[in-house]
Amino acid sequence: MSDETLTTPGVAPPPTETELDARLALQRTWWRDAGPLRWLREVDHKAIGLRVVFTALTFFLLAGILAALMRTQLARPEHGILGPDRYDQVFTVHGTTMMFLFAVPVMMGLGLYFVPLMVGTRNIAYPRLCAYAYFVYLIGSLFLWISLLTNTGPDVGWFAYTPLSGPEYGIGKRPDVWAQTITFTEISMMAFAVSIIVTIFKQRAPGMSLNRMPMFVWTMLVTSFMVLFAMTTIATASIFLASDRLVGTHFFNPAEGGDPLLWQHLFWYFGHPEVYIIFLPGTGMVSLLVTAFARRELFGYTALVLATIATGFLGYGVWVHHMFATGLPQLGESFFTGSSLLITIPNGLQIFCWLATLWSGKLRVRAPLLFVFGFFFILVRGGLTGVMVASVAFDLQVHDTFFIVAHLHDVLIGGAVFPLLGAILFWWPKWTGRLTSERLGRASFWLIFLGENLTFVPMYVLGLRGMPRRQYTYLAASGWGPFNLLASAGAALLALGVLVYLANLVVSTRAGAPAGDDPWDADTLDWATSSPPPAYNFLRIPVVQGRYALWSRTADAPVVTGLALDRREVLVTSTLDATPQLRYELPGPTIWPFLAALGTGVTWIFGVFTPWGIVVGLALTGPALVAWGWPRRRRATEVRA
Amino acid sequence: MSEPRAVIDVSGLPDVAFGSKNAVWWGTLGFMLIEGSTLAICAVTYFYLRRNFDPFPPGATPPPDLPLPTLSLLALLASLAPATLTSRAAKRFDAAGVRRWLAVGLVVMTAAVVLRALEFPALNTRWKSDAYGSIAWFTLGFHLSLLVVNLAESVVIAAIFFLGRAERKHFSDAADDACYWFFVVLVWVPLYVTVYLTPRFL
Ligand code: HEM
Repeated sequence: MSDETLTTPGVAPPPTETELDARLALQRTWWRDAGPLRWLREVDHKAIGLRVVFTALTFFLLAGILAALMRTQLARPEHGILGPDRYDQVFTVHGTTMMFLFAVPVMMGLGLYFVPLMVGTRNIAYPRLCAYAYFVYLIGSLFLWISLLTNTGPDVGWFAYTPLSGPEYGIGKRPDVWAQTITFTEISMMAFAVSIIVTIFKQRAPGMSLNRMPMFVWTMLVTSFMVLFAMTTIATASIFLASDRLVGTHFFNPAEGGDPLLWQHLFWYFGHPEVYIIFLPGTGMVSLLVTAFARRELFGYTALVLATIATGFLGYGVWVHHMFATGLPQLGESFFTGSSLLITIPNGLQIFCWLATLWSGKLRVRAPLLFVFGFFFILVRGGLTGVMVASVAFDLQVHDTFFIVAHLHDVLIGGAVFPLLGAILFWWPKWTGRLTSERLGRASFWLIFLGENLTFVPMYVLGLRGMPRRQYTYLAASGWGPFNLLASAGAALLALGVLVYLANLVVSTRAGAPAGDDPWDADTLDWATSSPPPAYNFLRIPVVQGRYALWSRTADAPVVTGLALDRREVLVTSTLDATPQLRYELPGPTIWPFLAALGTGVTWIFGVFTPWGIVVGLALTGPALVAWGWPRRRRATEVRA
Repeated sequence: MSEPRAVIDVSGLPDVAFGSKNAVWWGTLGFMLIEGSTLAICAVTYFYLRRNFDPFPPGATPPPDLPLPTLSLLALLASLAPATLTSRAAKRFDAAGVRRWLAVGLVVMTAAVVLRALEFPALNTRWKSDAYGSIAWFTLGFHLSLLVVNLAESVVIAAIFFLGRAERKHFSDAADDACYWFFVVLVWVPLYVTVYLTPRFL
């Protein structure tokens, strides 16, 4: 397989001797270690990215099992599968896992994998930081789930409102588990975000000026900035909460001048942008799939970029719409109704751009594109019900009912899970070199799509009929039984669809048709290298000639030469125009980020039980951090391609 | 493919750069954003909670003392001089200069950190007295943790230079470290005003 797509498709001229030598040298330099500790030392962005994606999908399945438990419990009145205490833990851990351990990480993981490939570089900026961040994320996630299995799962809802989560009402260690999980995962997401931002700003291939960046890269850029600001807020708030609980501060204690509403402000100042952090990469995937399957350039690229950036800003101006029921001043509420309606404008604009692209393209309807169609349908419903609840009067009626549960799932499943499922089918050949089965892909789409509708449409009705959320059961006399049964049947269908989807992936990895390097004739640079890509990504860094890198590439397209072959050197280019500025060496594999993550784990986990945990943890983390950055002696030879 | 292709030869590009050309500098900027917005949240929280107190500071709590905190602020500002000189020496690839000014910087920084650690009693309240005490301690404590982290980083860089392990890229690291030090010091100025001056004068 070739490292680069060749000018005449299908006809690969034999590699020259210098090219073979260069490949061998790069292979040696960017080796993926083979030893037993390989997994712990890895710093390759593709390996770490896939690891994050795999872990996040595992948590998606686990949280899905919790959803199935809830739907079984609610399938009929006064069902006895989950008692009230267990149900509280189950919905809290379901929501927390879906939002913090699945949705955000899976997007960041895909960014880690694809951003460096799409911008044409050899590795992510800060590879060791990403290695560290993965382990921190893993440790935090395991902490949450081990707590659930030992009956210490948080039971205060995924937004952990004070005073319920405060020292007075939050019994035992359950809310502490929540607060620490949040801190863990937010720290790691911030680290990923910084790495992605720097990679995008400084490591784009020559010629890829900002206005030639693929939409997916744009959405990852805006998302990463949102992660920086939003995650900072929630991490700080969760530390406030933890210190109220553990060392007796009074941030949220009204008796001593604290304020429970402060928690709500901080939480939703993070929480609403969080929705866009999940949704924007979804839109990036939609742009990618629409371009590839309509086989034409995006209609309104500039409008899409501006809409993405506008969403990034507006996402911070709407948080109070989650707090209409708290009795804020009228004028304030009107302002936030206005801003919440405003944000539908860029969203609507994006949808019209995609539709226009599809309309005017040479459409190939394949399974990944079906998921995009599902995205349109469900997201629009979620968006419209969102406009409904943005009005204060309506919101007060359906607040804390199943109407909200239906709305938030339509937005999250429609806006993020559908594009994700489509994109994974699209990218599977990149990861494995094999195509997935079209038949199984379509079957899984229809099952998931019908299942989703059957699950959540009845929930709107239930909400309008007054069924409150977060209740472990209801009485037969309420009349909610039939619609609940319908919703539970839908969830079963959905679960079946997910199983078929997974079966498709497993089967095709073993027996799928070979995909070749670029099965979709796609336009982005990730398809300009072999599938799966070599450790060094590209034999020669490409030079980008247009917005659709591969479609605009001419036969005599220039390439970059002169990067070192015997060091992990990458090309640094200017932020706006991507003109070459600097050769920059990235660090190689090492065990220290893993050890530093263990130290971080000790700090936060044992810190819940005794302040000494923090002291010991920091004492372990510090030296690991020093060793991590300590320079090694090196050979003095130099080889260049 | 044999080579009639046009090439862009980058072998002549530098392998070390300072400021915005340097990838690490952008990462440092990212961390400044994270830490800066954490401190901004502290300030917002401070003023949000203040509305709950009348009088402010609450009850019999006297406003914070000024002498020691002001001294520590001055020490921080003074440390900017060796930071600037370190950065300049680094940009000249002057190892002796970096060693000299880093050493001076470390002394001043350590003094500033020690002063900060002694500064908490000057708040005249405790973290567990009330919400005002909580946020005042937290702000001071969080900023102290940034100072400690930066001090530790500077110690490591100094060690690299004094033990003769410095390569060209470490000059760039030294300059970035100085840049971060500027951030940590300057960000304290508005917070000093918030924590120490507003209870007295606003
Ligand atoms: C796959 C099918 C899914 C089903 C059947 C499902 C079902 C449910 C149910 C029954 C509840 C709780 C209802 C109650 O309040 O008693 C719930 C809550 C929730 N779900 Fe899902 N869910 C699914 C997927 C997702 C996904 C993909 C996400 C996010 C990306 C998500 C996020 C949440 C959140 C944030 C809550 C609120 C938890 C709370 O009240 O604290 N769910 N879900």
